[in-house]
This record gives sequence, C-alpha cells and structure tokens, in this order.
Amino acid sequence: MRKYILKRLGISLIILFFVALIIYSIMRCMPSSYVESLARQMSQKPGAKSYQEWLDQLNKAYGLDVGIVPGYIHWLGQAVRGNFGDSWYWNVPVLTKFKQVIWYSFALALCASILEYAIAIPLGIISARKQYSHTDYAVTVIALIGISLPSFFFATILKYIFSVKLGWFDLYGIVGRNHETYGPFLQFLDICKHMILPILTLTIVSMGSMMRYTRTNMLEVLNSDYIRTARAKGLSEHRVIYHHAFRNTLIPIITIIGGSLPGLFGGALITETLFQIPGIGYTGYQCMTQGDIPFSMFYLVFIAVLSLLGNLLADVLYAVVDPRVRIN
Amino acid sequence: MSNNTNSADDRQGTLDDESRVRVLSPGMLVAKRFFRNRLAMIGLFIIVAMFIFSFIGGVVSPYGEAQVFRTVKETMTDYAGASYNEDYKFTMADGQKLSEMAQSKFVLAVHDEAKNFEAKDQTYTLEKLGNDFYRIYGAGTVADVTYMRKLYTYADTDASFTDDVKAAFEKANNAGQTEFEVNGNHYQITVSGRTITVTSDRELAIASKYVFNVYTQGTELSYDFKCQAEQALNAAQSSFQADGNKYTIDIDAANDRAVISDAGGKQYALMSHFAVSSSTNGVFLSVGYIEAAEEAITAKEKTFTYKDTDGKEITYTLEQKNAQYVIRNYQKTQLNDNYSSPSLKHLCGTDGNGMDIMTRLMFGGRVSLMIGFVVIFIELFIGVILGGIAGFFGGWVDNIIMRIVDIFYCIPAMPLYIILGSIMDKMKVDPKIRIYFLCIVLGVLGWASIARMVRGQILSLREQEFMVAAEATGISTYRRIFMHLIPNVIPQLIVVATMGLGDVILTEATLSFLGLGVKYPYASWGNIINAVNDSYIMSTYWFVWIPAGMLILLTVLGFNFIGDGLRDAFDPKMKR
Repeated sequence: MRKYILKRLGISLIILFFVALIIYSIMRCMPSSYVESLARQMSQKPGAKSYQEWLDQLNKAYGLDVGIVPGYIHWLGQAVRGNFGDSWYWNVPVLTKFKQVIWYSFALALCASILEYAIAIPLGIISARKQYSHTDYAVTVIALIGISLPSFFFATILKYIFSVKLGWFDLYGIVGRNHETYGPFLQFLDICKHMILPILTLTIVSMGSMMRYTRTNMLEVLNSDYIRTARAKGLSEHRVIYHHAFRNTLIPIITIIGGSLPGLFGGALITETLFQIPGIGYTGYQCMTQGDIPFSMFYLVFIAVLSLLGNLLADVLYAVVDPRVRIN
Repeated sequence: MSNNTNSADDRQGTLDDESRVRVLSPGMLVAKRFFRNRLAMIGLFIIVAMFIFSFIGGVVSPYGEAQVFRTVKETMTDYAGASYNEDYKFTMADGQKLSEMAQSKFVLAVHDEAKNFEAKDQTYTLEKLGNDFYRIYGAGTVADVTYMRKLYTYADTDASFTDDVKAAFEKANNAGQTEFEVNGNHYQITVSGRTITVTSDRELAIASKYVFNVYTQGTELSYDFKCQAEQALNAAQSSFQADGNKYTIDIDAANDRAVISDAGGKQYALMSHFAVSSSTNGVFLSVGYIEAAEEAITAKEKTFTYKDTDGKEITYTLEQKNAQYVIRNYQKTQLNDNYSSPSLKHLCGTDGNGMDIMTRLMFGGRVSLMIGFVVIFIELFIGVILGGIAGFFGGWVDNIIMRIVDIFYCIPAMPLYIILGSIMDKMKVDPKIRIYFLCIVLGVLGWASIARMVRGQILSLREQEFMVAAEATGISTYRRIFMHLIPNVIPQLIVVATMGLGDVILTEATLSFLGLGVKYPYASWGNIINAVNDSYIMSTYWFVWIPAGMLILLTVLGFNFIGDGLRDAFDPKMKR
C-alpha cells in the first residue's frame, strides 16, 4: 500500500512538472502582457524614463528577461521553496491573497456539496428502486436537466427571479451595502445571505451527475446475485434495500466523495465570477484575464494538484472501503 | 410495453412463419430498444428540430446574420435658440480684425463714455453715431510684408497701399524707422522676425445692438450695407444707398425694428433686437419664422405653429432659460432599432446592435452545433488512435501514452480556455480564425478521457477469445486493431461522443458568454446571452437572453437524452 502510494505520488510529480511547463509557456505567450502596460503607464509619468527602459527594468524585476525554459526553471525553483512571488494584479504576495480568498470558496463548495449529496443520493436510490416508473423518469429528467443546464444561464434566471423581480438578494458581491454598520453576527448572516444564490446554482448544476451515478450503481447492486439470495431468504424489501443493497452502493459513492474532497478548495470559477464572490475562482479569473503570471500559475498548478490528489485519494479509498480490491 | 405486444401476439395465436420466427440482427435489436425509449425519442426530436431551426431556418430567414435594423424615432429635440439681443454686435470692415479683448474693452469704454480704449498695446478710438451705434477706429492692417534676402514680398495688401506708399515704406524700413507719412496719412511699421506689418489708423468695425435677418436664404450683408442701414435708421431716413444700390427702409419705431427693401420693392432684410439661431448647422430660419417666434414670446405663449417649406404645420414648444428661449420640436432621427420588443417583424425582438434575435439564434445554432461536431471529431480522432495503440500494444508504449493522457487530463481545462481566450483577445485574432482556433483548442484539450476509455475497453477485449482466434488466423496487426477491436468499442464511443457533444456545446457557450469564445459579428448562443452582463439589460429585456439560454439547455438536454437512450440500448443488461 505504502509503496503504491509513493509510486503514484512520484508519477504525480512528473505529471505536475509537465502540466506547469505547458501552462507557463502559454502564459508567457500573452503578447501585450501586464508588464508592457505597466511600463507604458510608468513611462507616461512626468520626468519618467523612456518606455523601453522601463520595459527592460520591469522585465528584469519580474524575471521575464529570460527565455521560457530558464524562466520556468527559475519559477519552479522558487515554487518548490513555497515562494510563489507577488501577484502583479493585487500587489500582494500570492500566498497572502490566497489565504484571503480561499475560505469563501471552501464554504461555498462545502455547502453546495453537502446539499448536492443530500438531494442526489436519496433521489438516485429511489429512482433505481422503482426503475422505469414515473418517479424514475422524473428523476432522470431532472438529473439530465441539471447536467445540461448552463451554469451562467441558471444563475441569470435565479438573479432575474430572486434579485430583480422579488428583490430578496443582491445581484453581486459577498457583502451588502450596509455591511460595515452591522455587528459581527449580522455581518456573518449578511455573508450567508449573499452565498445562497451561488450555492443554489452550484447544487443544481452539479447534482445531476451524482444522481445518475447513484442510480447506475444501485441498479448494478440490485441486479447482483447476493440481492437475489437475500430476497430468496425472505428478507423484507426494506431490509434488502437499506441493509444489503444500500451499503454496497455506498462503496463507489464514498470513493467519489472522497475523491472530490480536495476539489472543495478549487473554487467554482464560473459561478464565483457570475456572482462576484471573492473566492479563489473569481480571483483567478481576474488574474488570468489580466495576464498576472504569478497568481495564474499558482492557481492553475493548485487546481492540478487538487485533481491529482483527488484521483489518488479515490483510488486509495476504493481499496480501503472495499476489501475485495487489491492494489498493486 | 414489450410484454403487451407479446401477449397481443399470443392472443392472435396465428402460427404463420413470419410471427413465429422473428429474429432480429444485433443492430436492429439496439435500434428497436432505442426507438422504444421515450426520453431518447424526445431527445432525437429536439436535436432534429434544432438542426432544422439552425440550418434550414438560417436559409429561410429573410434577414442576414449581421443585418442591422434602423428605425425612425420622433424625439423632442432642440430646434433653435432665441433671445432679445442686449449685447453689442460687431461688424468688421473688409479685411479688418477686432480681437475679443478689444471687443470687451469697447463695451467697458461705452459704459464709461470714454472716447478711447486700449487693448494689447493698441489704441482704439470710438465714434458715437447714434443710439447704441458706434464706429471703431484703430490701427488697421494695411499690408503684411515678408522680408527675406533683401526682398519684400507683399501679402494682404489694402487698396490704399499704392506704389507711393510701398516706396515710402521700403525707404523708411531700410532706414530703420518705425513710422512714415505719405500723402498726409500716417503709417506704423511693426517688425517681428521676418514678418513686417504695416498699419494705419482706419475704420475697423461698427458696433450696434441690432440683429440683421435676411428674407432669402444665402443673402450676405456687406459691411457697407449694415453701416448705411444703421445710419439711415438713426437718422430716420426712408432710403439709403449702399454698395451702389438703393434701398428703402421702413421703420417701425414702436417695436424698435425696421424692414429694408431693395430697389424692386422686395423685402430684403429685417433689423430688430430679436435674435434666433438654429441649433443645427445649415438650417436657414426665415424672417417669417423669426417673427412668429417673436410673436409667441411676446404673447408669452408656450407653443406656436409655423408652416414649413412643404406647407405642413409644425408645432414648436418654447421654453425659457434665463434670458434665453429654447425652441424645440419633434424631429425624426434615425437610430439602430435596438432592444425592440418581440413583434411580427422580429419574432424575438432585436438585440443591442439592432439585429434580429431570431436570425441570430439560427446562425448561432449553426456555429454552436458545428463547433460541437468538429470538436468531438477531433477528440475521437486523437483519442481512438492513441487509446487504441496504448491498449493494444501495452508495455512502454502504453506507459508513455497514458502519462501524456494523465498530463492532459490534469490540465485545468476551463482556466486554460480563459487564458487562451484572453490571449486571442489581446492579439486581436480575426473572429473567423478564432472559431477555428476554438475548435482546435477544445479538441486538443478534450481527447484524454476518450483515449482512457478506449484503452480500458481494448485492454479487456484483448483478452477475450475472439481476439485469440483473430491472432491465430494470422491477420495483420492493423486489421486486428481497426477491424476487430475498434468496432467493439464503437457502442461506448457513440455514447461518449453524444454526451460529449452536449459538454462541448456547454463549454463553448460558457466561453462565449464570458466574451472569450465566438466573437461579434458571428453569433453563437453563448455570446447572445452575453448581453446580460449588463444588469439593466438582464432585468429589462428578457427576450434577449431567455430564448438563447433555453436553446442551449434544450440542445444539450437532447444530446444527453439520446446518449442515455443509446447507452441503455447498447447495454441490455441494465434492462431488467
């Protein structure tokens, strides 16, 4: 087991190296980069140096005066030591900005995930139990609509109904207009209120695939021999479903949930941007469109690490939960 | 459902060959199962409808993809400004200038009842000719001279600058004098660099509070005419001579105005204190119009009507702003017909550029569907080849390919699309080429999961008996992969591709929504919804974004229904 994990970690590092290289090369392709516009700005100040001088100086300061490969090696050398540099767009160290924004994303993803599982798993099980019934069709259609719903469209509909027509929530942002005047508890409630629509969007958009996954696995279990045996023994249907079948369905579900745990930190890029929630997704979006290389590199590599960790965790959990699975 | 048909067959009890031995080929079985699936049929219906809507609808639609509609709207616009003139109006003598500074100094001098005033080191003299009527004398330019290489070049010479004066000037200038006298006239010389200005005291301008309006468009009133008219008015004469023509002047002392007619008795010009100027350039306001406006203002009315050149009555409104009156009327202006509500002409209204949304949706559907198919084709092409090779050969080939798959699988796709989109934004890539780039990028970043699936399938199929048999018959590796293995993967491939189509369309829509995908002038369902980034449009014009969103939802849903139906059809194990 330990050997397996070590091997997987080793492979992950190699993958990460190339992923970061690809991302770094693409980031460096930005023609009119952040530095160029900064240099243009600086050179226009009264009594300033010429544009070219500023450009050279800034390129040197930001480590852009070298080619892509040496630049990448320099970045990697710093990143390995935990130094991701300063964000150009925010003018603070990348890690400081990261610590400011990550918890918004985490809270958002955690609430959405809990809601998602709480809705999707029971519905999936019901739909599998009553296969081809009206309930099953309804759940299938809901699940597929959830999968097919563009998150930006659903978020806009929610905003249209709840913010514009009913006026219950603000259109954007994480805090209301009078946030500063509230006490600590009311401030917390204010933030919660602004999280409701994003959480709803995330839940609806992501629960479809979980519903389908639960249904498929439950169907597989219900078709297996040991369920027929349990029925043949004359066990009550309730016991067959919730004792024998459900526990076995949980194996792949737990695996999936475990695998998605690191993803809770990854942020919801589109949803956060739509609602302007200052989480890692929205921050990353701003940095990427502004050509802020240090933060974007950090953000993308961070997401890559999370997805690799998720895969590893899922595989290990699969072996832990299901003793029939041998890892080698 | 199938039970019902069986029992119906049984009840008939006929034993003819056709109903007893009905063997379907595997392909037909799949098709039968698929066509019995209600959801799949709904999906198929949706997709067919979408294709008809986008590809045939785009042809049938009477409008073009980027056709802008214009509309004429009547808006209340400023037509003219009117006021009672209480300031001095200056009329310059031919070829003379009176600076702004001198004009304001003149007003001060009149107020102080002074005879002279100074502005910019020049002394001006004023002569009172009548009530609020002055003539201004000063150093007027006689000639501008350029002195180069001992040669004098003359420009802007006055009629009085005769050869005598010229000779005297050259003599005086060569002697370094700044003044000279010829024929009793006094001239000054001002040298600045190579330019020399010769000035002499002369008539510069007249100032009066009367405003001249002409009866026919294009009539220009000369300095001499104005000067003589003013004098005639002040002297209460009934006629005067100007520019060699005779004019009669009809003074209306009560209203402080005068009508001047030419020798033929035709009305020529009007002198009054009432000034009207048009708000738009090049519009001639006739005396009749001005009189109508004056009448309305005197009577303190809010509106007045006046016939325009076509004889149509137009109503004008008057609005007082301090001493000024603003005359407004309804004028027709041509605008882009943007955000017009759904109507028979525009079934879904028009968007912010004044384009027909229905037509944009049709053409957008083409782009979205085409991108979907092209991307899936690229993904399948790369995925099947690499996955097939990895799965069949195994060993180090498999290892290398699967690590590449891992890398592509691990790259965060959405952020990368956003970065590439903003790179293309900054490089100002042509919108058409952008669409091709988008296809390639989406395809190249999306093949990893297909390769993984194909490899997995082939790994398990490779061990089965039919492959051992195929190897034993000695057919080539190429044929074994592509004739025996791949066809067995095709069911899964079709399912993955159908569901993937929906995903690609969603991704494309999201990118276009963020403004990083398909760009104007090309339409895509995503960039039509893009308008909601302005929350005013979102809340006011629902018809701009709801139809496009519904189309995306329906199309993706259709592909998912079909994919789901196909999976059930290909995998009969799941059916009870």
